[in-house]
Amino acid sequence: MIRVDNLAKSFHDKKRGIVHALDHVSFDVKAGEIFGLLGPNGAGKTTCLRLLATILKPTEGTAEVGGADIVRSPEAVRRQIGFLSGDMGIPARLTPREVLAFFGKLNGLEGEKLRRRIDEMVETFEISDFANTKTDKLSTGMKQKVAIARTVLHDPPVLILDEPSSGLDVPTARLIENFMLRAKESGKCILFSTHVMEEAEYLCDRIGVVHQGKLKALGTMDELRERTGKHRLREIFLDLLEIAELAQGARK
Amino acid sequence: MNLKTSAAVYQKEMLEIFRDRRTMISMVVVPLLAIPLLFSLINGFMTSREKEAQGEALTVGVLGEDKLPTVIEALKAAGFRPIAKADLRAAVEKKEVAAAVEETEDATGEKYVNVYIDRTRQASEIAGDKIETALEKLKTDTVRASLRGSGLPEKILTPFTTKNVNVASEKKMSGLVFGSALGYVVILLMFTGAMYPAIDMTAGEKERRTLEAVLASPAGRNEIVLGKIAATATAAFITALLTLGSMAYSFRFSPQAASTRETLHMAPPDMGSLVLVMVTVIPTAIVAASLMVAIALFAKSYKEGMSYLTPIVMLAAFPAVVGMLPGLELTPALALIPIFNVCQLIKEIFLGEFSRVAYAVAFGANLVYAAIGFFVASKLFKSESVLFRV
Ligand SMILES: Nc1ncnc2c1ncn2[C@@H]1O[C@H](COP(=O)(O)OP(=O)(O)O)[C@@H](O)[C@H]1O
Ligand SMILES: [Mg+2]
Repeated sequence: MIRVDNLAKSFHDKKRGIVHALDHVSFDVKAGEIFGLLGPNGAGKTTCLRLLATILKPTEGTAEVGGADIVRSPEAVRRQIGFLSGDMGIPARLTPREVLAFFGKLNGLEGEKLRRRIDEMVETFEISDFANTKTDKLSTGMKQKVAIARTVLHDPPVLILDEPSSGLDVPTARLIENFMLRAKESGKCILFSTHVMEEAEYLCDRIGVVHQGKLKALGTMDELRERTGKHRLREIFLDLLEIAELAQGARK
Repeated sequence: MNLKTSAAVYQKEMLEIFRDRRTMISMVVVPLLAIPLLFSLINGFMTSREKEAQGEALTVGVLGEDKLPTVIEALKAAGFRPIAKADLRAAVEKKEVAAAVEETEDATGEKYVNVYIDRTRQASEIAGDKIETALEKLKTDTVRASLRGSGLPEKILTPFTTKNVNVASEKKMSGLVFGSALGYVVILLMFTGAMYPAIDMTAGEKERRTLEAVLASPAGRNEIVLGKIAATATAAFITALLTLGSMAYSFRFSPQAASTRETLHMAPPDMGSLVLVMVTVIPTAIVAASLMVAIALFAKSYKEGMSYLTPIVMLAAFPAVVGMLPGLELTPALALIPIFNVCQLIKEIFLGEFSRVAYAVAFGANLVYAAIGFFVASKLFKSESVLFRV
């Protein structure tokens, strides 16, 4: 469902000059699979996911999402995805129902169909108690439910989630995890990013380790264990990054 | 262009506008409360100033009650209160009296009545005029008394009477003052009314991190910008409508309307003019909205957005102030200047003498500026360096 092909993005930064935020990365994610992009802060995860969501345009390479090319038909791509990031807000002066109605309309839903779908979401994500309360009055957990409902309202086959549980307390993070696992069961293709190793291990079928814009390793958790010969997650992660740095040093 | 998407964005922005306290204050409260308040303040101020001036204007300095008895009698008859002063010139200068009179005589024995006034003071001028009238009457009465018994008809004293006729209609007077002040106030409030929504739905959304989800939806960038600009323009237009309505109320219906009209020497604006002004204001609302949305897009936070747009509001007031200069007429060439052209049009509509050509040119020009503004805003909305400025 997602095929990333030599994707690269560089930014012009006043202080640092040209920044290679994503440096020619390739991988793919199938339907019914959870793929995790794992990497420290500044690794290029957000850049990668924004490129796939067609919010940014690639400097080089391309990708296909749900059969549509991100450069040539970005709108077709956006119709197939649900995009959520952990630090995203929801319009504070609107109620959950109004938020859902707004995003439903942006996704081409209207009339009776939209209303039915909103009711479904309100029920599935247990929003009904506060469905007509302005979102700035809601707790983080309630807001998160609304954010998730907003992401899957139009029933997209592909989910792109950027550190979806970062900054959330344990019960709320749990909400996100369960949602991802349920989505996987229903056959969705899920690409998500995290800097938390445990989360990656618990959720992912396969993991791509990114560091300084490059994909350093790719495989199942077991494959990564094998490769580093380490067992503790922390060690594996550090090892992978170290290998990356050593390789870079050798090249120099 | 998918107009349904724009409509969805518009609807959502309007909901947010009506629930935002800051916007509601600048869009609704200021026009509805501040304008009538401003008018009643001006009204009260002018009335008390006039009363004060009239009270003071009735004092006249003399060297002594016994000097010039006939003149003092005549002044008393005209309502003056004579006050004895040693130095008449100084008394007028120090505002102890509104004016002063004394009698002098030249070498040939011809008599003069000197009237001291201070032309920089309204009270003194009023007194001077009144004294002159009173003395004229005294002069005529004296002559008339001398003529009596001479057999000459009294009529020869007044072969004709002069009378000033103001050719400017009341409507024109009103238009001149009301129109130019109104144009300025409407533009100023319109821009402030649009400012908060413009910032809120651009920089504000960036800061609250609500924009990304919209960008990742199937909505096209042009559609989003169109919805946002339309909502901002609506806020600007609502502000203008309420301001105009509020002004019309102050002049026509408020309990003080009559006295406001009298003190400001104005006629109430007629409904036709008001409607025409409202139509004139539409393209300007769009220009203001596109300009502000485009600029506020650069900002990363609400606060930064404020610091960008506040000078814009000031700048917008500048052509409006130039438009208040008397004697300027809206030629088709001048009608190309944005904001200025609307202020002039508003003024001329109230004068009832606007040129159809200038109106059409101004309207067309503003529509073109609105289109340019939309184009620029939508370009910026596609620019990564603007949307994701770090
Ligand atoms: N708009 C931008 N302008 C300049 N540099 C950027 C921009 N966005 C991201 N970067 C840089 O690109 C790199 C990758 O960032 P990001 O993709 O956000 O990493 P992550 O999400 O993994 O923390 C970082 O060095 C970041 O500073
Ligand atoms: Mg990130």
